Amino acid sequence: MRKALDALYRLSAALAALCLVLIALMVVAQVAGRILDGARSLLGFEPLGLLVPSLAEIAGFLLVGASFLALASTLRNADHIRVIILLQMVPRSLARFLEIWVLAVAVALIAYFAWNAALLTLDSYQFNEVSFGIIPVPLWIPQAAMTAGLAVFLISLLDDLVVTLMGGEPSYMEPLPDHDLVEGTE
Amino acid sequence: MDTTIIAIGLGLGMLAALATGIWVAVALFAVALAAVVLLVSVPAGTVLATTVWGASNSWDLTALPMFIWMGEILFRSRLSEDMFEGLSPWMRNLPGRLLHVNILGCGIFAAVSGSSAATTATIGKMSLPELKKRGYDERMAIGTLAGSGTLGLLIPPSIILIVYGAATEQSIARLFIAGVVPGIMLCALFMGYVAIWSVLNRSKMPPKEDPIPLWERIKATRRLFPVMVLIIGVVGSIYAGLAAPTEAAAVGVLLSLLLSWAAGTLNAKTFSQALMGATRTSCMIAFILAGAAFMTVAMGFTGIPRQLAEWIGSLNLTPYELLAALTIFFVVLGCFLDGISVVVLTTSVILPMIEQAGLDLIWFGIYLVIVVEMSQITPPVGFNLFVLQGMTGHNIFKVARMALPFFLLMVVAVALVVEFPQLALWLPHNMMAH
Repeated sequence: MRKALDALYRLSAALAALCLVLIALMVVAQVAGRILDGARSLLGFEPLGLLVPSLAEIAGFLLVGASFLALASTLRNADHIRVIILLQMVPRSLARFLEIWVLAVAVALIAYFAWNAALLTLDSYQFNEVSFGIIPVPLWIPQAAMTAGLAVFLISLLDDLVVTLMGGEPSYMEPLPDHDLVEGTE
Repeated sequence: MDTTIIAIGLGLGMLAALATGIWVAVALFAVALAAVVLLVSVPAGTVLATTVWGASNSWDLTALPMFIWMGEILFRSRLSEDMFEGLSPWMRNLPGRLLHVNILGCGIFAAVSGSSAATTATIGKMSLPELKKRGYDERMAIGTLAGSGTLGLLIPPSIILIVYGAATEQSIARLFIAGVVPGIMLCALFMGYVAIWSVLNRSKMPPKEDPIPLWERIKATRRLFPVMVLIIGVVGSIYAGLAAPTEAAAVGVLLSLLLSWAAGTLNAKTFSQALMGATRTSCMIAFILAGAAFMTVAMGFTGIPRQLAEWIGSLNLTPYELLAALTIFFVVLGCFLDGISVVVLTTSVILPMIEQAGLDLIWFGIYLVIVVEMSQITPPVGFNLFVLQGMTGHNIFKVARMALPFFLLMVVAVALVVEFPQLALWLPHNMMAH
């Protein structure tokens, strides 16, 4: 069970990272095409009009994949920001109680969120909604990635809630082997 | 029910949620949901899903992971060593000497990274031990680093300016360019202070080292030149309108990989660490932004920000009074919250107020970021303090005391930007792309 869950979080994070790599590749290809065209027109040739079709929209969709599929892994690496002054100051028993409260709120909210994201996806699928660009992308595809990311996030929150209720430490409280403080955000 | 009471209730609810340790993004979603359910009769779940979908799938926002990734790659290269070796020979003869390496190093690294924690750590990794070895005053060594590390927020590319731009629908390119002059001004203020301090405190300065011949200096700096080219390329192409921020960032990622490869620091491990680090950091920020977008929509439904703006308007404050009050408010908020949370929390509530006061939103972004920079070095929550606590072993309150002069210099910078808005606005008004 533990192994299967960890594999799920890793797979989800890997897909998120893949989305970022794809964005970078597409944008670099677009810039390269523009530079090539610029060079051609400088030399007096006709520009080829090289461009990645619907780049802006597809990059936006990939960003949704990257942002949502990484939620669970971000939680487990303690990278979601929160204020922990109070948690550090109160006695351990109270801190445990607060931790359960925090996880319970998150589980309730993300369950509601995931459910509504699923409804949105279903709507787009049934009404066959597509994006406006040169390449009409069915909207249910990126929306399904959003829903899947929220679902995996929900599973990881439930995972941590169960662990905490059984008396353990949630994943994001365990010190990570190669986690430096610096990988912060700002 | 009376809106005022509900507004106060929601504010207290937000504070309680944050104080008990609920993740900032989750707290934003939860409080916004409560506001929608309590105050308006719309299908809350549908509004939630469509708002988040709309806010998350954005071309402009793709600049965020790209710039974070670029910084993560360079953070894992040997830039830290190169920066100290390359800058220190030039600083030996200035009053304040190698202390300036901290400031300039941070300024330069800030121009490839949007993060102040990464800036502080990258520069400090090398400069703190070196300065200590040479007998520099520890208080100044740590203080300069804490202060100038915050430049990562202001000097483009800046993660927090992307967040502000996304939350307020302002052009990220213009915000970036607007940050250039105030960023350089802060660098100059810091360096001026260090120079004056060192003249007044000669006894605390270590003995002078011999100057290095010009050619040797250039040789020591040679490894910094590619980074300089990278900086000029990224910022210059945005300024000239040749590239959108995302495009400049993606090319920046490619060039950073090349630099790291040339320095021999690129391997499967550093590549995947940088990529996963960037994925998680941008996920965290994107999720907060999604929460902020929902909060903005929820607030719009409730009409709370409009009423707040009217109430502030009825007080007939001058812009100076309004900004003075806001500065104090942000600094207090920044004592307990990180910068991104401060920005998204406030933009969803106070933006109508700012518009009504007739303030330029690009200018306000720069003002807000300088104030948020101050919050990076105010205890008990300040990211630079956490980084420096980890690096030096001094507790955050001690580090904060060392950084106090630089906090005050930032207050001066805020006053200057308020008095002379052109410091921020002149460059973006003269950008080639509109």
